[in-house]
Amino acid sequence: MNEDRLRATEQLRRELKTIAETVEHPNGLCTVTASPRGEIRALHLHPALLTQGAQAVGQVVTETVRLATDAAVQRSFNRMALALGDGLAIDVESIAGDSPFRATWNPVVTGEPPAEQAPPGRERRAPLPDDLDEDAFFENRLWLR
Amino acid sequence: MDDEVERAARKVREVEQAVSEHVTRSGPVTGRASSPDGAVTVVATPGGAPSQITVSPSSLRMGPHGLAAEIMRVAEKARRDANSRLHQTLSRVVDARELTALGFELSRDDDEQGWRP
Repeated sequence: MNEDRLRATEQLRRELKTIAETVEHPNGLCTVTASPRGEIRALHLHPALLTQGAQAVGQVVTETVRLATDAAVQRSFNRMALALGDGLAIDVESIAGDSPFRATWNPVVTGEPPAEQAPPGRERRAPLPDDLDEDAFFENRLWLR
Repeated sequence: MDDEVERAARKVREVEQAVSEHVTRSGPVTGRASSPDGAVTVVATPGGAPSQITVSPSSLRMGPHGLAAEIMRVAEKARRDANSRLHQTLSRVVDARELTALGFELSRDDDEQGWRP
């Protein structure tokens, strides 16, 4: 491995360590900043949330932390894909599990989610076929930063 | 580059299989922490978002700022507990230094609020 690649790898490692994303719950009553590892860097609770009771507070905070963590993981995937190329990023997905965007590509809300509109969490998936459309990684502008 | 990726992927598959077999035997790894008065309890997973955050009815009297700070404090403690437990579990099949490098550090922070199975 040559010096340039070592430097680029170290730079990528540093950048991935600093990534965090801020997400507001769909109900607007909780905002969380989280790292891709699920560390809560900041948490804001709207006073109105506390009037909904302890169970609602716990559920909304849990969901918001998950959404912020997923957003941070997705940002890490995007940053990694920019540095290493889509092909390698997809290889990483096949090992580590889908990026959050791909995992919630067609979110289907069923039943009665007590805290509104929180999409399902990430799940591992089977290995991808060889002919995957790699451009799909960047199709959703929402995730691109 | 392709050879390196293939070697890395093969190594990952081998480690994954060893880890998978081990976790199948030992069960899922989680961490847990609570406030001293039970106001906030967090169940954490290693390397991911907390799986459950619960607050007691009396904790609502702390107000939004106080409760948010307590949730962050307990969540961090649960996260360290989960990482430490993963380290302890996997150090039998993965080099402990590699686990530490990945962020799954062995925590010595075993005070009275730590979770016991």
